[in-house]
Amino acid sequence: MEEVLRALSEAYGPSGNESEVRELIRGMVESYADELRVDALGNLMAIRHGPGKRVMVAAHMDEIGVIVSHIDDKGFLRFSNIGGLQNLTLLGNRVRFADGTVGVIGCEKLEDRSKVPELSKLFIDVGASSKGEVRVRVGDMGVIDRSFAMAGSRAVGKAMDDRAGCAALVLALRKMGECRHDVYFTFTTQEEIGLRGATASGFGVDPEVALAVDVTATGDTPKAPTMAVSLGGGAAIKVRDGGMLAHPGVKELLVRRAEERGLPYQLEVLEGGTTDARAIQTSRAGVPTGVISIPCRYIHTASEMIDLGDLESAVNLLLAFLEGEIEL
Amino acid sequence: MTLGEFLKAVTEAPGPSGYEEGVRQIVRSAFSPYCDELRVDPMGNVWAVRRATRRADRAPRIMLAAHMDEIGFVVKKIDAHVLRVSQVGGFDVRILPGQPVLVHGKVPLPGVIGSRPPHVLPPDEREKVIPLDELFVDVGLTAEELPRYVRVGDLITLRRGYVELRNGLVMSKALDDRAGVAALYSCLQELQALQHSWDVFAVATTQEEVGLRGAMTSAYGVAPDAAIAVDVTFGRTPDCPDIGTFELDKGPCIARGPNIHPVMFSLLEETAKRLEIPYQTEPIPGRSGTDAWAIQVAREGVPTGLVGLPLRYMHTPGEVVCLRDIERAGRLLAHLVATLDERVLSRFRAPLGSSS
Repeated sequence: MEEVLRALSEAYGPSGNESEVRELIRGMVESYADELRVDALGNLMAIRHGPGKRVMVAAHMDEIGVIVSHIDDKGFLRFSNIGGLQNLTLLGNRVRFADGTVGVIGCEKLEDRSKVPELSKLFIDVGASSKGEVRVRVGDMGVIDRSFAMAGSRAVGKAMDDRAGCAALVLALRKMGECRHDVYFTFTTQEEIGLRGATASGFGVDPEVALAVDVTATGDTPKAPTMAVSLGGGAAIKVRDGGMLAHPGVKELLVRRAEERGLPYQLEVLEGGTTDARAIQTSRAGVPTGVISIPCRYIHTASEMIDLGDLESAVNLLLAFLEGEIEL
Repeated sequence: MTLGEFLKAVTEAPGPSGYEEGVRQIVRSAFSPYCDELRVDPMGNVWAVRRATRRADRAPRIMLAAHMDEIGFVVKKIDAHVLRVSQVGGFDVRILPGQPVLVHGKVPLPGVIGSRPPHVLPPDEREKVIPLDELFVDVGLTAEELPRYVRVGDLITLRRGYVELRNGLVMSKALDDRAGVAALYSCLQELQALQHSWDVFAVATTQEEVGLRGAMTSAYGVAPDAAIAVDVTFGRTPDCPDIGTFELDKGPCIARGPNIHPVMFSLLEETAKRLEIPYQTEPIPGRSGTDAWAIQVAREGVPTGLVGLPLRYMHTPGEVVCLRDIERAGRLLAHLVATLDERVLSRFRAPLGSSS
């Protein structure tokens, strides 16, 4: 589990540039799936055929990052955000580009150091002394460069959002015995910039029921916003988030499966943010859709933290859902 | 069931977005005598289908949509003996303290939205709106008992009965948009006496208040040739500007603007004039914020209209509409349906701007 998570977390894959992650996952699931497909938006589907319902399970491969918007004569890069970058956490961080170039995020002299600087005040220094020495080009994308670490039973790394979900899908697919349903494990693209991979793959798969597996926030850190989800409390079963209301039948079925198997779980009401489930739910004439969430602290920072026990309970809950009858 | 009885039943039923089952049951049983088929789709939308009385191989389809969900709350945390809540849709936070509510826990639990009494508030806070974060719901249970009855994610609705005011006005929670659903009911009844060559899909939609989500999927499912949404619009009150607000009891509003197909606007206006139904014209410069907005761009696009019911005190527990406006909207819709024929279909299909 730890090794799968480490490899996924450290891989490079800003929205729209998921190929490295896709190839990594392809290698992890190839021998466990009946069929692999990649669609026009780069979504990877690992399919296990079975006689029951057509079920889509989605986790997104992409991560937030930066995109180079301008390179000045001295070789400093200006950049814009890919997804919900948090300016508060950027200064001093390193970014890495697809070609391996590493840069440091620096900041102009600030008039008021008590305020979080706008993105336009920040730049990336790739160690060049002139424009000619810079290998990256305008339009190239970078991700936060940060290695994976364990902190007790907790895993810390960049892009746990949503490589933790990808890991859950990989591990569930590997553990799954005989397949009762026609299951499309879908590793989606471009979630962070508007659920775009899930929108297209939701239409393409045309599922009868769907689940997303993604991270959710917690309310268990000092002076956190009010939220009844804690790290280590088990997989969270989503009731609602900022973008969707989970299908009540899917939500209750997840609760029932968790209770039958004695899996720890928590019910989740998240006030901001959303997941691929929002897009899949309204695909075509509508799809009953739910979400298994992995509680995660410090989302959209370089050090997103999850609990391995929660990841394990998410894997087991997903398996329990897929191995049983799905009557809503 | 009379229109008033129907409206009382549907407004008093709980049906927050995503959890419309209480309302759905009433709608299904009330609509079923007036339609040929009744379906519930994967998003919980109710489709009441009346087949064309003048038979065709594949009659064109008109979709009439009104949303049955209401705004509400969801429990986000059980905090000792009270519940911390989050909005489903958007109430006016100013009017929340002191509201009676119903918590849909293991059993229905009457409760109240609590806050500190004014006596203990510092003077500067008395003038301020209390943010939802500082409000809570109290159902009278102790901290030990509460988790046995309530889970995170349980829904909460306002607890307010239907009240008849003077002059045909009625007051209730959730008239947004159960008044629209009542207009569909009235339309289906009216259609009993009319001949029509299009199939009618009267759809009570879900999840409008959280992003027009039921309309989006049901419009895909129905695949209509034209559609009309019925929703509430701003009723005029003394302190409201005249622009963008509409008198109660002066008839339904026929919307005009980019969300509205010009042919649909004309058909509605012509029908209202022919039947001498009073109406008001509501210009909407951009997104209408109604199901019409989602339906218009379903599949390859749907010529869409919007009929508005003037309503006072929107998104409060004391919403007010005029019953006569609902009847008029129902009659307008039914007679519009009866005028739909092949010629109208070609008018919808002509490029925009080539005719009116």
